[in-house]
Amino acid sequence: MSYRILHPDSPSPLREGQLSINRRQLFGRSAGAVGVAALASLMGKESSATESFDAVRSRFPSYAPRAKRIIYLFQNGGPTHVDMFDNKPKLHELHGTPVPDQLIAGKRFSTMTGQAQGKLMLAPVEPFHQYGESGAWVSDLMPHTAKIVDDLCFLKGMHSDAINHAPAISFMLSGAQIPGRPTMGAWLNYGLGSECEDLPGFVVMTSVSKGTTCGQIFYDFYWGSGFLPSRFQGAKFRGSADPVLYLSNPDGVRPELRRAMLDDLADLNALKHAQAGDPEIQTRIAQYEMAYQMQTSVPELTDFSDEPDHILDMYGPQVREPGTFAYNCLMARRLAERDVRFIQVMHAGWDQHNTITTELYTQCVDTDQPSAALVRDLKMRGMLDDTLVVWGGEFGRTPFIQGNIDDRPRWGRDHHPYAFTLWMAGGGVKPGITYGASDEFGFNVAEGGVHVHDLQATILHLMGINHEALTYRFQGRYFRLTDVHGRVVDEILA
Amino acid sequence: MYHRHGTGGRAMLFVAMLLAMPHASADEPQQVAFNEHIRPILVAKCVACHGGPKQAGGISFLYRTSALSEGDSGEPAIVPGSAEQSYLIERVSDPDEDYRMPPAEHGPALTEHEISLLRQWVDAGAVWQEHWSLVPPELSTQPAVKDTHWPNRPLDFHVLARLESQGLAPSPAAPKAQWLRRVTFDLTGLPPTESELKAFLSDSSDDAYEKVVDRLLASPAYGERWASMWLDLARYADTQGYEKDPHREIWPYRDWLIRALNADMPYDEFVVKQLAGDLLPNASLDDRLATAFHRNTQTNTEGGTDDEEFRLNAVVDRVNTTWQVFQGMTFGCTQCHSHPYDAFEQEEYYKFLAVLNNTRDCDLPEDYPVLRVPKSQDQVAECEQLEQRQVELGTELFRLYSEGMSDDRQWNSLTLTAAKSTGAAQLSIREMDGNNELVAGGTISQGSRYTIDCAASREEPITALRIDALPMDPENSLRIPEEGFALSRLQCFVASSDGTETREVALQAAFCDELDPVFDPEDSLYDNHSGWSVFTKIYHPRYAVFLPAEPLRLADGETLRLVLHQNRNTSGLASQVIRRGRFSVSTNPQWSTLLTGQEYKTLRDELGSVREQLRAIPSTLVPVLEERDPVAPRPTQVFVGGSWLERGDTVQPGVPASMPPLVSDGPADRLDVARWIASDSNPLTSRTMVNRLWEQLFGLGIVETVEDLGASGQEPSNQALLDSLAMQFQGELGWSVKRLLKEIVLSSTYRQDARVPRDLQERDPRNQLLARGPRGRLQAEMLRDQALVLSGRYSQHLYGPAVMPYQPDGVWQSVYNGSNWQTSQGEDRFRRALYTYWKRTSAYPSMLAFDMNSREVCVARRIATNTPLQALVTLNDPAFMELANSFAKRARNEGGANARDQIAWAYRQATGQQAADAVIDELCLLHEQALQKSPAKSSDTPDDSADQFAMTVVASTILNLDGSLTK
Repeated sequence: MSYRILHPDSPSPLREGQLSINRRQLFGRSAGAVGVAALASLMGKESSATESFDAVRSRFPSYAPRAKRIIYLFQNGGPTHVDMFDNKPKLHELHGTPVPDQLIAGKRFSTMTGQAQGKLMLAPVEPFHQYGESGAWVSDLMPHTAKIVDDLCFLKGMHSDAINHAPAISFMLSGAQIPGRPTMGAWLNYGLGSECEDLPGFVVMTSVSKGTTCGQIFYDFYWGSGFLPSRFQGAKFRGSADPVLYLSNPDGVRPELRRAMLDDLADLNALKHAQAGDPEIQTRIAQYEMAYQMQTSVPELTDFSDEPDHILDMYGPQVREPGTFAYNCLMARRLAERDVRFIQVMHAGWDQHNTITTELYTQCVDTDQPSAALVRDLKMRGMLDDTLVVWGGEFGRTPFIQGNIDDRPRWGRDHHPYAFTLWMAGGGVKPGITYGASDEFGFNVAEGGVHVHDLQATILHLMGINHEALTYRFQGRYFRLTDVHGRVVDEILA
Repeated sequence: MYHRHGTGGRAMLFVAMLLAMPHASADEPQQVAFNEHIRPILVAKCVACHGGPKQAGGISFLYRTSALSEGDSGEPAIVPGSAEQSYLIERVSDPDEDYRMPPAEHGPALTEHEISLLRQWVDAGAVWQEHWSLVPPELSTQPAVKDTHWPNRPLDFHVLARLESQGLAPSPAAPKAQWLRRVTFDLTGLPPTESELKAFLSDSSDDAYEKVVDRLLASPAYGERWASMWLDLARYADTQGYEKDPHREIWPYRDWLIRALNADMPYDEFVVKQLAGDLLPNASLDDRLATAFHRNTQTNTEGGTDDEEFRLNAVVDRVNTTWQVFQGMTFGCTQCHSHPYDAFEQEEYYKFLAVLNNTRDCDLPEDYPVLRVPKSQDQVAECEQLEQRQVELGTELFRLYSEGMSDDRQWNSLTLTAAKSTGAAQLSIREMDGNNELVAGGTISQGSRYTIDCAASREEPITALRIDALPMDPENSLRIPEEGFALSRLQCFVASSDGTETREVALQAAFCDELDPVFDPEDSLYDNHSGWSVFTKIYHPRYAVFLPAEPLRLADGETLRLVLHQNRNTSGLASQVIRRGRFSVSTNPQWSTLLTGQEYKTLRDELGSVREQLRAIPSTLVPVLEERDPVAPRPTQVFVGGSWLERGDTVQPGVPASMPPLVSDGPADRLDVARWIASDSNPLTSRTMVNRLWEQLFGLGIVETVEDLGASGQEPSNQALLDSLAMQFQGELGWSVKRLLKEIVLSSTYRQDARVPRDLQERDPRNQLLARGPRGRLQAEMLRDQALVLSGRYSQHLYGPAVMPYQPDGVWQSVYNGSNWQTSQGEDRFRRALYTYWKRTSAYPSMLAFDMNSREVCVARRIATNTPLQALVTLNDPAFMELANSFAKRARNEGGANARDQIAWAYRQATGQQAADAVIDELCLLHEQALQKSPAKSSDTPDDSADQFAMTVVASTILNLDGSLTK
């Protein structure tokens, strides 16, 4: 068999000089050539999608964005709002008395609590003090966060529909309790595309405090693309030698040999394109080149040797250990510097069913300093203005006890979606304010309620997206992150 | 127009055929047809507000009656025959922007042309039509074509007529090697071998193509390839999903699929068995196994979750999946509200849900009910016979018990004198409706053990003890059921007047109101976690009867003491205890007569032996569908706004009114509905499957939205083609998938060259007109399977538990269940991709990168992407590298004496093409470079390991060529 060239006007694939010109045309950085930036747009190529993603991106942002990127410090397990941020003196007064019936009427609790009737109220385990010019109350559990309160916007009227972890985390990140919908990072990259040429636009990192007994783990659907094409899903960076799966060359294949392989692939695939005429082949050539660039840029990203000691120290001692929350916070800043659009840092271990007086302390030590350091670090670099930092979990914890009030070492609190606290910083959010409040028991929202869909609408708004306009058609229906709900919380916009 | 030929028999559509060709001026059609001209306008510009969920101004354009009604304005929106009097026309054509419909913020106004079409249509009488997909396909005449030599199969006429109408000609036939690669992958998921290629190239007989197709269809690999497709639809995985995502043993269903597909089970039968095989008369073990299709829904074992919520989620998923897979409809839209675009009402969703809402599974971690599937096919017949015998014996035994139950008056209520519980539960005794009953309140601890004292009559010896368990609120529990219970052990004591237990009463038998309960009531007689249960939710009052070994006579002052152990918990950690109970005894001597009678003894003995024999058969327990006992049906209500906690009216099982009626005696069951789907009169079933198969072969369905043939989906690109194939499939081809595939792959359409000239590429970038052959990237499974075949390490072993090929460390995290990824050894490491262990929360990463989905829900089509991560997989994944290394070894052993020959050989193996000299030159140069840079190279003479390294680099490069990655 021999080749039949279908396009007599195309360059002869058999002339090598011609071939390398093709390659230079594709990858060269010289003027007039299809440069590296164009490769990024090639990332958006689908083989046979129903809608053009370029067309989608041309609609966004809907208006000038306040934030260019998001770092979501997701506190997996349900941080106990009444012990950390939501100061309720009343709980001291009611400590050990049954929960008032009117608070629990008609409410669902986790089946572990079952009937909440008769459960005893539990006071916060540590004292609260006021900090900063804003006078925000913070528990002694979070001394570092206490120092940055004037940069933070506390939402104390958060509430959710879900009462168990996986559904509640899914709800927070994808707007639906059942896995299978795109998550926020996937939606944002679908709508806005990636700003970053050699890294994925949606990166996820996870950590768990050492010695935690809770079994919370991380599921791919927490950063899934749902029904959006899989390239929108979060790329999980692992706290190990190969932060991106399959990033390292096979043993013995040195970079120059890999380069030679890719050159051959590009030549031979260009030849194939000349024959077959399928534009997918050109995309494939570009994607291989992009893969090569990632192989270079990711190792640079994870090499902290260019960070001065005072920066490393600010994040705390764990920053030098890959896979810790502190390490991931510094990675988040480095990713933000490289214009990764959505950085999801997840930390598990907040599920204090019987560890309020024990593991909660470790949990706070592991997260308090790095979270505060990240905000300070971004601020020092002038990046806080266009970087939105969100800190919070999927729900709060019951103001009443789980366990025996006489057994202090085993005190716990169950899941509580009816009121909890979350903070945001930067990215167009008013600093040094508290929006919303729970009632005097920390039980229900008293004012300024922010539902999960409202938070999502607000985050999209800060990124310049009207949450009602960012839709994708699947199974005959237009889906969106906020389902059919969501209100932008104008009150917190700077 | 062009794609309406197939329904030309219908008057209106026939007229539509006479209309101008699409590229001619479409401005003034002679007659306006609803489906052709009007529905698209209504769907695009009106029904978002005037449709199902939203009926602004009281107007909906989904049905003719509502469109003709007056709405809130008091003026009829449409007056048939008079556009002038129709409010619709007035509103859409109003020059005043504030008044015109649709409002500017909702979208652009109607064009002049659209308004003109609406006017003509109203003036002509506003004739309504069903959406095309709900109108059954009809046999159409073969369209006339100019090039009469080209068509090879009936379908080619439809494709060619379309091409000619566009002024296009088909591409030439593909070179034989190109077609062979395409058809071999399409039918078996594997590449052709070199000997298969040689044989085909040298076969110049007339039926050379047909022989290849017959060979491929007969290959066992055929079943594996098509099972891969079906597993996406079935949302098959080897784990239960949700948070904990533990292991699930359901691979025998995958093996059933492979066998059914290889045996070419007719598609109608294939549908019925998966939806209702258990209800077929004399259902075989295989029939019941097929129903595991709908047991691939997720089970939530996370602590604190409500089993009823997630049971209902599974049922909702089954409804949506049934409609997606078999009907190509987005019925799921009607879960919360009436369908915005199609003629389905919300109530109809719940009528259909009622059909599927009575299976026994209820979100239990054990995935009950399960089917015993022998590990060896040789024991299937024996197992079936034993199961059958077990059912007969159980039925006989139940008949004996039921005879004893015929006299309602025999039960004397026991007066409860004291009751206490372990844990925090507060037990109280009360009178209710003339009955003395036990009620549990307060915080009810898991595993609560009750001790209950009862005064019993001393006149006659007690022969039976009956316990009735009731919902606290029997009316509401028919909507939202209450927590159930499990009586893991019942002990009965006699207590003396001072309260001390004097003796334990031996209980010999137990039965309940169900013939074949999931948990055997007799397990309540022993210490274990099973026993009489209404687990995990109670809808109706239920009872069980316990028979003492001997009639029990109480002396003066003696009372009865019952101890109820309730040691079985749900995974959601909800307490499973009797919350409301009544206790009574019988003194009818028939019960002791029954226990001592020969018939009872014989039945018991044989039943015991049958059970023992069954247990001895090494088996896998596979979750399947089973219907609940009719004694305790689950009623179904409409979920208001789609929320399971808010219930509307109770509904009866049924199908939507816009579809053909259901044939059933009595209330519709799953089998009736399965047969309704699989019937020739269902307008969607054959079309949906034809369209799906077409999409697999051509990369694009005839209706592109394979999951939605309804009004919100895409229009068919060639409806005559779709309908003629659908009629052929359900008619002359007898629902044979193999025969249908053979029709398609032997067609001239499929045999075209895939290479595309630039002008055609620009004119029809996605090949919707089919003026060229299909070309596309290999699917995730095919990529791995190809590498396996080329490496020479491919295991042809079929069936069995999932395997674990190499996966990078740290991908799996399984804190709860300690499961971990243990790379399979021996040939199991080289099994086809479809046998790879599929964990929903952490799916095999290299296949995910190639667009496989995590299989939480049914995904009707994979959208192919082209990403850098894919390049990283095929270049760097050690699993791929291992195969590239073996491929290189083969090249060195089989490819010839020198590197050049070996490289040419490898290229031919991987792409099915002969490489041009320039290509070989380039790869030889790479080989040279690799030799120089080999880590193994220590001297100037390339040694064996350096050569192997260099050839591996070349083999890996070849495996990454576009020619290797595509078919």
